[in-house]
Order: sequence, then C-alpha cells, then structure tokens
Amino acid sequence: MSGTNPIDDDTAMRLRHGGQAAHAKLAAHAQDDPELSETLAHWDLQDAALRALYNPVAEEPVPARHKDVLRDAEAFRRSIPRFARMAAAVALLALGGAAGWIGAQIGPSAGGELVQEAFRAYATYSIDVAHPVEVSAANGAGLTAWLSNRLGHPISPPDLGGRGFHLLGGRVLPGMNGAAVLMMYEDHLGRRITLYVARQPGQPESAFHFAEHDATQGFWWVDDDLGCAIAGNLPRDTLHSIAISAYDQITAT
Amino acid sequence: MTLLDEIETCIPALRRYAHALLRDRDAADDLVQDCLERALARRHLWRGDGPVLAWLFRILLNRFRDGRRGARTGATLISLDAVIEPTRHGGQESHLALREVHEAMGRLPDEQRAAILLVAVEGMNLAEAARVLDIPEGTLASRLGRARAQLRRVTGRPGKRSDDRQDVRK
Repeated sequence: MSGTNPIDDDTAMRLRHGGQAAHAKLAAHAQDDPELSETLAHWDLQDAALRALYNPVAEEPVPARHKDVLRDAEAFRRSIPRFARMAAAVALLALGGAAGWIGAQIGPSAGGELVQEAFRAYATYSIDVAHPVEVSAANGAGLTAWLSNRLGHPISPPDLGGRGFHLLGGRVLPGMNGAAVLMMYEDHLGRRITLYVARQPGQPESAFHFAEHDATQGFWWVDDDLGCAIAGNLPRDTLHSIAISAYDQITAT
Repeated sequence: MTLLDEIETCIPALRRYAHALLRDRDAADDLVQDCLERALARRHLWRGDGPVLAWLFRILLNRFRDGRRGARTGATLISLDAVIEPTRHGGQESHLALREVHEAMGRLPDEQRAAILLVAVEGMNLAEAARVLDIPEGTLASRLGRARAQLRRVTGRPGKRSDDRQDVRK
C-alpha cells in the first residue's frame, strides 16, 4: 500500500454520496487500497440490486385514485375565481371567525387577501403595454417619496437589476388598509413582475409563502407591518430568488 | 408548470419509495395517497424553496413514521413473490441475488431502510437525503454505513475479515 492514509467507512460513505468531485476523490483513494476498492465494488452491487428490485414500481401506471386527488384539487382551484367574491363574503358574514375557506386556497387569512389583491393587480397592469405604471422610474427619488407618502410607510423599490429586472415605475391602488402600492419590473425579454405592498398593521411577521393562481405564481410575506407579494409568470426558482432579493432589501430599510 | 403538475410528475418516485419502504403494495399505495392528500391540503403553506420532490418525500416519511408509531409492527417479510421474479444466478460475482437483498432490506430498521433507499435508489446525495430525513449529514453517513454493512453480511458477501458467513447461494 502506498503512503495515502486509509479511509474509514464514515468518510468513505460521505465521499461516495457527496457528489461527483467527492466520488472521484474516493475512487483515487481506492486505487491504493484494495480493501476499500472491494468495499466500493460491493456498494455498487448493492445499489444495482436495490434499483433492480424497486425501480419497476416507478414504471407502472399511476393508480387512478392518485390522479383523482390531483384532479379534484385542480377543479377546486379553477372554481375559485367564479365564486371567490361571493363565497368570501358569505363566509365572512355567516361564519364569522371561521372566515376564509377561500383563504385556505392560497394562503391563511391575511395572506390570502394579500395574494388575491397582488395577483389581481398583476393581471390588470402587467399586460398594459402603453401605461403599465402611473409614475415612471425616471422620476427616481420622486417615485420613492410618492410611494412612501401614499402608503404611509417608508418603501423604496428594491433594485432587482442583479436578477435581470429593471424598475418601470409604480402606481397606487386601493387596498384593505388604505392605499397600497404596486411596483413593476421588466427584463430584457419584456417579461414583467410586480411587487405589491400593502399595510398590514398588527399582522404578525410571517414566513415566506408560495402561492399560485392559474399561470401566475408568487411569493408573499408579512414583515414590519407590511404585507408584500411578488407576482409573475416565471419559473418558480427564478421568482423565489427575486422574492428573496426584494425581501432582503425591504427589510434592510 | 404549476405546482399540481410538478406533484404529478413526482408520483412514480413516491410510489417506488413507498413500496420499497413498506414492502406491501396496498399499504404503500395508501401511504402515497395519504401523502398526496396532505400535500394538496397544505400546498398554500409550501414555501417554494427547493425541489417539490424533496418536500413530498418529507411529508411521506412523516406519515410513514406516524403509521409505524401507531401500529408497532416489524418490517414485513412477506410478498416476496409479488416483488421479485425468480433470481437468475449465473454464479458470477456481477450481481447480488435480488431475493436475498430484498429479505435483507426487510430486516433493516425502518430508518436505515429509509436512508439507504434515498441514496441508492432515488439517487440523492448525502446533503439532499439528510434534509429529507431531517437529520445531520454525519448521522446519515453512519446510518448508511450500518445499513450497508448489514446488507453485506446478510447477502453473504462478507468483507475480507468476516468470512464466517455462507457464500452467495449456489
């Protein structure tokens, strides 16, 4: 055996399942260590046997009841827009504290409202070619001052340039707790995303939540009395990193 | 692709994992169904970070553990014939006898079986599998070590110094 230190089983296991580079390193060690080499060969046999044993199940047709439960969820999701307003009103009036089965669809209570408003604003304004925003980003500090003023809370449009999105501008919208603001961004492909911010006084800080409605997906959170929601028609991972970036900048101010 | 679409594409892997874990077709199908229902009911709580598959595996494992706590049974050793065709065995060392590996898997503690299936069959690396299992990577590495050593003993391919077991059956 050459000068390399023998590798214990734990280390071998970490390297074996630690990704490609680790795997290659392990193979190099094995060249000088017949016992390790034999162990690795046996692990390969184990893996091959386990795959041969259990993979065939994944090739079978998916049982109907699994698909049914997905289809039911899909049907429920599609039924929301039509009944949303009426059901929400009925639920609020008739059930009082049990309000919001609609909220359960996209988010718990306050979040559900926030997301609905944010998605509605996205659907309404992101498709507007000529007048997507009320006040253009060209107004710079004037835009920030105006948005903060109308919102009643300091808000500075986050810089999403690192994610390939530049600010088009903003607008003011009626919200549940006074004026809400909408900031719109666009990338070089003309894809747009919006950041909706509404005051949520007294709402507890929330985790980061995912929401979707038809093709629109988004992330929302509540922090420092502000409810924020990113909406767009983009891959989820992209939206997630954008939302993280927006969150970091908004909470830092 | 919507979340529902993504969930649907994960079903074959969930079935594969559930069947290998529970070793009983009906129970495995029930577990997958339960997992899907839970996931759909809670999809508004999903944070959207990381792969959907990992999220579903975590739900499935939680349900599996709940079920095991409820009905304290050992691993099922039946239904071999339903799972495996008769072992072809050429006396070569190129593969292990599937039947023996399946039996050996049944004798592993649940958590060891859950761990080795994630890396060997589902192709996860240590970090991914540790997140799914909600344990530190070091814990997972030693758990995998015990599982692999046990499989090696039972399938009759002892390491160098432990040739007190029978060879692969003839």
